[in-house]
Amino acid sequence: MHTTSENPVARVIWEGSIPIQFIWDPTETQGRILEPYFVEVPRCSYLSLITNQIRRDFAAKRLGFTSDEGEMWFDYQGIPLKWHYPIGLLFDIHVLQATSMKKEAELPLPWRVTVHSQNFPGEKLIKNPTLKSCQDYFMSMIKEADYLRNGSTKKVMNMSKSDQTQLWEGLWSKSYDQFWGMNQRLVSNDGTMARNLPVRIYLPENCPVIQDLVSPLDEYGGPRTLRQILHAAVPDLFPLVVVDAGLSSPVASVLIHGVRPSLETDAIWAAQTMAYPDNFLHLVVVLE
Amino acid sequence: MSSSGTPSSESPPPTAIAQDPAEPTGPPASPSTVIANHKRKDTSKVIVRFRAIGNAPIMKQNVFKITASNKFMAVIQFLRKELNYQHSDPLRVLAGTG
Repeated sequence: MHTTSENPVARVIWEGSIPIQFIWDPTETQGRILEPYFVEVPRCSYLSLITNQIRRDFAAKRLGFTSDEGEMWFDYQGIPLKWHYPIGLLFDIHVLQATSMKKEAELPLPWRVTVHSQNFPGEKLIKNPTLKSCQDYFMSMIKEADYLRNGSTKKVMNMSKSDQTQLWEGLWSKSYDQFWGMNQRLVSNDGTMARNLPVRIYLPENCPVIQDLVSPLDEYGGPRTLRQILHAAVPDLFPLVVVDAGLSSPVASVLIHGVRPSLETDAIWAAQTMAYPDNFLHLVVVLE
Repeated sequence: MSSSGTPSSESPPPTAIAQDPAEPTGPPASPSTVIANHKRKDTSKVIVRFRAIGNAPIMKQNVFKITASNKFMAVIQFLRKELNYQHSDPLRVLAGTG
């Protein structure tokens, strides 16, 4: 059952990547300016998955340097980056959403991210950003998504240990077939209608994340669109009907994986195809 | 954790948010007002029911109210205090298994 291997949208999303320039915090290198580390990383990946290769690169440049994996953290323009968010989501929030607020047109690529090995901001970030913690967090998101779809986590919990590991291993080794071979069963809910869709909505300026119960069907039993979901959460930003397309331009739009989908997109399709590997459809709201 | 709500065992059937076609049709609030409103801390209360599983001790009282803007961490810290658990005592808290 490899239906998604034929799904070009899921594959393009899986292959999406961002060039990042990692710069060591100059106050932590005893005044030495170290050459930055450039790497192109999958949007669906996590900072914790590339911490080790960054650590190795910097260790090679800096004699006798050691740092603990659990102490490493990253910031962009002074804002600590949540290691438990997918990298693409971080980029969309901290770069695309933020630049839309400042009305800047130019995209800062590569993304310049600062690396730290000291003074972990424990009040802003979840502690101990190791590979193991990241895997645990990733699996708990998948279970939460399962709970929203089915009212229990049975589907995930009944998977064999090796099937569960296949999800994480597929993400870790960037293997589309390995990941989607297992993930398809989850996102399609084995062909049954989900009770609720796992959706999170991110407003600008670090507002609390919106996560409501999102039924896949509207009150008439028809499939909901992204517009209906966004309207239910923030009606003032997303009117249901465009009164006069010529006069009132939309005040807000939404980003998934860095692109603006049509608001008339079928939400069930979006949740099955455009969700991040953690099974959540992360909607980043940008103001126009 | 920045994640919002945890599904509760008493969540209503998935009717989601009703889209009342007869909702008041005033002019929409400006984006900056919308964002400011969302940033405000949610001061409503959430009822938390604790149920001991495994060999967790039974509690005298197991229903509590907590302000909605609290992180889940606050629930765990409260429970540790309530059970008189030391930092080293293992405690697992599962949410939403009704």
